[in-house]
Amino acid sequence: MKISNVILTISFLLFQSLLFAQSTLSISGTVNDSDGMPLPGASIVVKGSTAGTQTDFDGNFTLDNVPSNGTLVVSYIGYASQEVLVANRTRITITLSNDTQSLDEIVVVGYGTQKKADLTGAITTIKAEDIVRTPSANPLQALQGKVPGLQIVSNGAPGEAPTVRVRGVGSYTGGAAQNPLYVVDGIFYDDINFLNPEDIETISLLKDASSSAIYGVRAANGVILIQTKSGKVNQKPRFTYSGYQGVEVANNLVKLSNSEQFATLARESGSAAEASFIDNAMQRYGRSRVNPNIPNVNTDWYDEILRHALIQNHSLGVTGGNESVTYSLGLSQFEQEGILRMKNDFERFNIRAKINVDLSDRLSVGVTTLFSNSTRFRPENGAFAAAYFAVPTMPILDLSKTDAFPRPYANAMDLGYRGPQNPFPLMENTENRIRGRNNLLNFNLQYQILPDKLTFLTSYSHNFETNETREVRLPYFFGIGGAFRENAELTKRNSTFSEQTWDNTLTYKNSYGKHNLEVLGGTSFRDRSFEVLEATGLNFPNGPGIGDESYFLDLSNTIDIDRVGDGGAREYYFSYFSRVAYNFDNKYLLYGTIRADATSKYQEKWGYFPTVGAGWVISEESFMKNIDAINFLKLRASWGQLGNGNVAASSGGITSTTVDGAFGDVRVPGLVTANDFDALKWEVTEETNFGVTATMFKNQLSLEADYFTRKTIDGIIPISRFLVPGTTRQNLGVIRNSGLEFALNWNKRVSEDFGYNIGGNFSTLKNEILDLAGQQNLITGGDVQQRSIVGSAINSFYGLQVAGVYQTPEEIAADPAAQVAIGNGLTVQPGDFRFVDSNEDGIIDATDRVDLGSYLPNYTFGINLGFNYKAWDFSSNVIGQGGNVIANMKRFGVRQTPDPNIDRDFAVNRWSGAGSSNSYPSARGLRNPWSNQFLNSFFVEKGDFVRLQNVTVGYTLPKLKGSFNPTIRFYATAERPITFSQFNGFTPEVADGRDQQTYPIPGVYTVGANINF
Amino acid sequence: MAMIQIKKNKLLLLLASFAIMLTGCTEQLDQPLLNNNFAGGTDYSKTEDMILSLVGVYQSVANRGWEQPLVVSTRGDDVNAAGDQQGLKNMDRYVYDNSFFGSRTLWETYYGDIIRAHTGMEQIERYKELADADGVVLGNQYVAEAKVLRALLLFQLSQVYGAVFIPTSSNLNDFANVTSVPSKDEVMQHLVAQMDEAIPFLPDMRPNERRDLPGGVTKYTALHIKALASQELKNYQGVADAAGEIIASGKFSLFPDYYQLFKTPGKLSNESLYEFQYSDFGEGTGQRVGVTYSPFGPNGWTPAVTGASAGWGFFEPSIKYVKFMLDRGERTRLETSVLFTQTGIDSIIRTTGYTVATLPAFVSPTTRDGDILSNNARHILSSGKHYLPTRQLIPGRTAYGSNKNYIIYRYSETLLMYAEALKQGASNSAISADQAVNLVRERAGLTPITGVTLDQIVDEKYAEFAMEWGKRFYDMVRLERYTELNFGGRNFTKERSFVTYHQDQIDEFPILANVPR
Repeated sequence: MKISNVILTISFLLFQSLLFAQSTLSISGTVNDSDGMPLPGASIVVKGSTAGTQTDFDGNFTLDNVPSNGTLVVSYIGYASQEVLVANRTRITITLSNDTQSLDEIVVVGYGTQKKADLTGAITTIKAEDIVRTPSANPLQALQGKVPGLQIVSNGAPGEAPTVRVRGVGSYTGGAAQNPLYVVDGIFYDDINFLNPEDIETISLLKDASSSAIYGVRAANGVILIQTKSGKVNQKPRFTYSGYQGVEVANNLVKLSNSEQFATLARESGSAAEASFIDNAMQRYGRSRVNPNIPNVNTDWYDEILRHALIQNHSLGVTGGNESVTYSLGLSQFEQEGILRMKNDFERFNIRAKINVDLSDRLSVGVTTLFSNSTRFRPENGAFAAAYFAVPTMPILDLSKTDAFPRPYANAMDLGYRGPQNPFPLMENTENRIRGRNNLLNFNLQYQILPDKLTFLTSYSHNFETNETREVRLPYFFGIGGAFRENAELTKRNSTFSEQTWDNTLTYKNSYGKHNLEVLGGTSFRDRSFEVLEATGLNFPNGPGIGDESYFLDLSNTIDIDRVGDGGAREYYFSYFSRVAYNFDNKYLLYGTIRADATSKYQEKWGYFPTVGAGWVISEESFMKNIDAINFLKLRASWGQLGNGNVAASSGGITSTTVDGAFGDVRVPGLVTANDFDALKWEVTEETNFGVTATMFKNQLSLEADYFTRKTIDGIIPISRFLVPGTTRQNLGVIRNSGLEFALNWNKRVSEDFGYNIGGNFSTLKNEILDLAGQQNLITGGDVQQRSIVGSAINSFYGLQVAGVYQTPEEIAADPAAQVAIGNGLTVQPGDFRFVDSNEDGIIDATDRVDLGSYLPNYTFGINLGFNYKAWDFSSNVIGQGGNVIANMKRFGVRQTPDPNIDRDFAVNRWSGAGSSNSYPSARGLRNPWSNQFLNSFFVEKGDFVRLQNVTVGYTLPKLKGSFNPTIRFYATAERPITFSQFNGFTPEVADGRDQQTYPIPGVYTVGANINF
Repeated sequence: MAMIQIKKNKLLLLLASFAIMLTGCTEQLDQPLLNNNFAGGTDYSKTEDMILSLVGVYQSVANRGWEQPLVVSTRGDDVNAAGDQQGLKNMDRYVYDNSFFGSRTLWETYYGDIIRAHTGMEQIERYKELADADGVVLGNQYVAEAKVLRALLLFQLSQVYGAVFIPTSSNLNDFANVTSVPSKDEVMQHLVAQMDEAIPFLPDMRPNERRDLPGGVTKYTALHIKALASQELKNYQGVADAAGEIIASGKFSLFPDYYQLFKTPGKLSNESLYEFQYSDFGEGTGQRVGVTYSPFGPNGWTPAVTGASAGWGFFEPSIKYVKFMLDRGERTRLETSVLFTQTGIDSIIRTTGYTVATLPAFVSPTTRDGDILSNNARHILSSGKHYLPTRQLIPGRTAYGSNKNYIIYRYSETLLMYAEALKQGASNSAISADQAVNLVRERAGLTPITGVTLDQIVDEKYAEFAMEWGKRFYDMVRLERYTELNFGGRNFTKERSFVTYHQDQIDEFPILANVPR
């Protein structure tokens, strides 16, 4: 495209005088981007002619012989083209705005690029400016709610990655096996926590098989391609600074019962012991002057364990290039504190450089390097559950405890409770530091064997990571029996991870008349290895005034020999792959890839992952040419098979484990030999996608719609072993995800001063287990049981359905199921749940349990609205989801936790007499085995939410006079200021739907600046 | 054109060289998974390694989860379930909940370890194939030991559930299409036959006489299990024969100090026919071999050794038992079996007619070793047989009962089983029933009796084995003395003899739903 423009320009310059002979002007001008930065190489063409030119290094152009009433068409790749009336002007400044909807846009695909118009698959690309709007350590956080079919579940703890799901969950194996593949500048990653959002140019999400199958090996969970920033040919050095600073505030705090409510609950619980503990608290801490029946203590534990926390990010970069060298260099520093009141933060310093050198017309080499140095202090997540259960009738510190150290922590056991409850000793005497260093190195060489036709590319990458973990447990004492930590304990765990990749590709590109063809063939070799070594030492120097300097194993009195660990893994992968893209007259598109992958990880080494795609650009047909409203319309379809090689390796043989036996108080070693083993192959997901891409009304309205089904056909599932606990893993499961995805965007530039955009996306998801190899179900989750059965969503919650609450003894007497239970020795009283006897056998037992819902949302959506007026810009987006459920495990945990506190919602709404509630049990009922013997629908809550996700307001300062002329923009952002949800937890974002100790996801409020010159 | 030709050739050369380099890469695809000890790499010609597999079986059998001994032991009029474990509390009232996790894990883990015993035996067989004559003899002994250990688990499993499956190898596919569940009688007959197979290969000595594996299985362990299985079959002649053989060997004697029998001094005594061995190996830190005794321990106390952990209070001797023992004038055995809280003592005074003045001095919250039980909401009494005085803890250890062995079979049971069998009509000339019972009474500090009756033997067993593995409960079921089990508002019927299979097991083997209870 660009090249043909150049040819046109040259031919025009040669023959212009011959072609034009009317009232003409000489025009000079400048083309800038919306930041006011000059755009070199932008094309200016006189409409209706072949006359035109390009801007120079400083974005300036001059054009002679332009008709005085003519129109200039100004275009630049990646920006919306603009038509400007000359209107007798001789000096014109044109500002182009970024165009996310351009069909000429080049999209990064696996091992190459394609024009957006030529795609047959479902790819969504997110640009830098949309990424950096979100104040977060992790760039993926910015994608939340912006891409249909992509679910991001935030993680509130600093430095921890969000959960990312592309088109549902296709692997039964949890954890990393469900993660998408990240490809950063061609290198495979399992997570991208080390990347600074400012370093990224684009993120492309490859959703369907046609676009991702070329990454067969790992493509089944979706592929996220990330290009880091690179320089441009013939561009003056362009310096950028961007930074923000802000505060994180926990919002949507769950209110806990206060002392008054708690005392009432304890007295109603039916437990004499619990009531007596309230009296004990009054004896120990005095009586409240307001209400003499409650202790003079009212601790709001959530309030106490949380704090406001700071976040800041500063990035400096320079990009540029001349004819043969392009470069992009950068530095950044990110800091974020956690909102849990303990040593809990994340800090990351990044350096990066990307340099490309054209050694000749045909040969170029490039080097990319990115070094990331981070320190993370991991929180004690147990504090959140502990704070929920801790009784409000106890202070944090109890100064009468003179024997306690390092601080006089209050101990609930002093009041008669079974556990010490206080979360502070754990928080204050625990430190988990993880120092990560991540180095990405890439060297590539490209040689054009036939110029612009046949290209050879070889690329070697090394991703090297080290993690130094230091876990410090300092002793404390505030009571016997669980309220002390005797030994100072230090664990050091050092791990290194190395992944080397060597890719070779050969690309052939040609056009024969209306036939356009691109063929790529390649090989890839990967060598992944991981080693970890750890040891634990006891009783190193510690105490007041002693810190880091003594946290060394050498200084420990003892090294616990049984806690010295060594582990490692090494996997090799080897692949062949090929891609063919063909189109006829830009109208009929055909696309296919195949990848053959082999790995040392599984017993069946080779997997083959083909895909085909087709597209029909209807708008290119002659019968559509007259419909002005439609600028572009394409139908797409694709089918393909994808692999998931992220399920843990299988041993393929019987193994033995060393055990110790005791004989006469002498340790005797022994071996326990397993009687079976896993022998696996790749998981294969088969995906079909149908889609429509359209732009309408002068390209102002764009539409993408897709329907997909993806079926994991060789899903690795645990197969129960007969008789004995445990399972073996086999490739026998079938899981299907299907859904619809829509994205609609309207982008209007009303005038040079005012433009706006409004858009929305919506996606549905249906997750269904299709086959479990004849097993009735797969069960997980212990008491909070989750079950996978054929026909339901993976790991659906499973329990009794609550029909209501017994209001009167007569009601119980009339219920045969309750009478059977009473006959069996259970207690059933008014205030207890009445359950649905789903199998209608007259008794309530395990067989009455039903599907209580899935943790996967049925639908997710996002709405964005933005406008700019003169120097002001505004953007906002709203996200939401629905149809999922969350198990409120804290509330359910009350039954196993003797005499705990509970949330205020329960305290306020509990059953407290006939007619008071038909959905909440009584305080006694909540603990009554009849009411809580199984998980039931009371504890499984709706996870629907709508959230104002991000609001940003920016103001760009007027340009300064003089040669130093930076563009300066200030902005303020509110991230997640408001969430609407009925869930009784900190956040409705709970990745696995099990809310036990979820780190609250804070709102973030920042101010920042971008400076470019 | 010529240029292009050369370029193409160059390209071919380039590709060829890459192809060669990449072939080297593909060889790596056969690398095994790291950090694994592949059994396929075991050198079975090293007969001296054969013992590793046997020790693995011992350790698998002794490695019990906290809830399992409770599921086996909680029923009966010697003990109540206490604390907040509803499944155990239901079980204690003979109400069986098919979703109680303990009834699932007991089944699963017992079978898991039975299968491990089979895997161990199969490994030993492979060593035997390459061993010399001495090695074969040793291998036969090891297999026989594993059989006895397997029998120990299968016996308890059948006591709890009645009809259970009988694995015959480690191949789980044997259970793909089961069509019947062996009845409890069939299981017991199988165990008798298994012991008959094992006995000829086992060492003829007390377990504590073994030098290679002190406390390991011997011929007498197998005989004891044979006697127990025969007893469950009400084959009293079989009981008398097997128990008589143990007695006649003259190798066993009762440990003189009943209180210390269950504590550190009683480890591997001459009374022991088999005990799970747990040890801190005399060290205050480092990995120990242990079991979680916490559920048996008092929930609150002031230990003589500061920092020693209390228990969870899930297991509580019954007032009925305490009164029974007080009425008999028992001293040592009551003190050994029961720990008292003040609430418990008050309750005894309130319900039994004993007073502060008439209660023996040891009925006190303070144990003879100085650990003081505090009142707590969960239980009023605790088991003394699972209690290790904190002064006996290895310094540095705080876990409840750490370093304490768990006795399974002891000679006193052999004697009383024997005596009962004679009273049930069997004959044996090893000793008389009176002699057997009086040996037990003498150690307990009681006067001898003559012309002992069946009822007296049953009472003697109640006094002697309370809190030990539900032995009292299983006796009452066998002797059909159901009224004894109907105490404290409980309602026992014959149909409630066995714990309900867990729903998960029924789902896996629908045939279990048809087993008559």
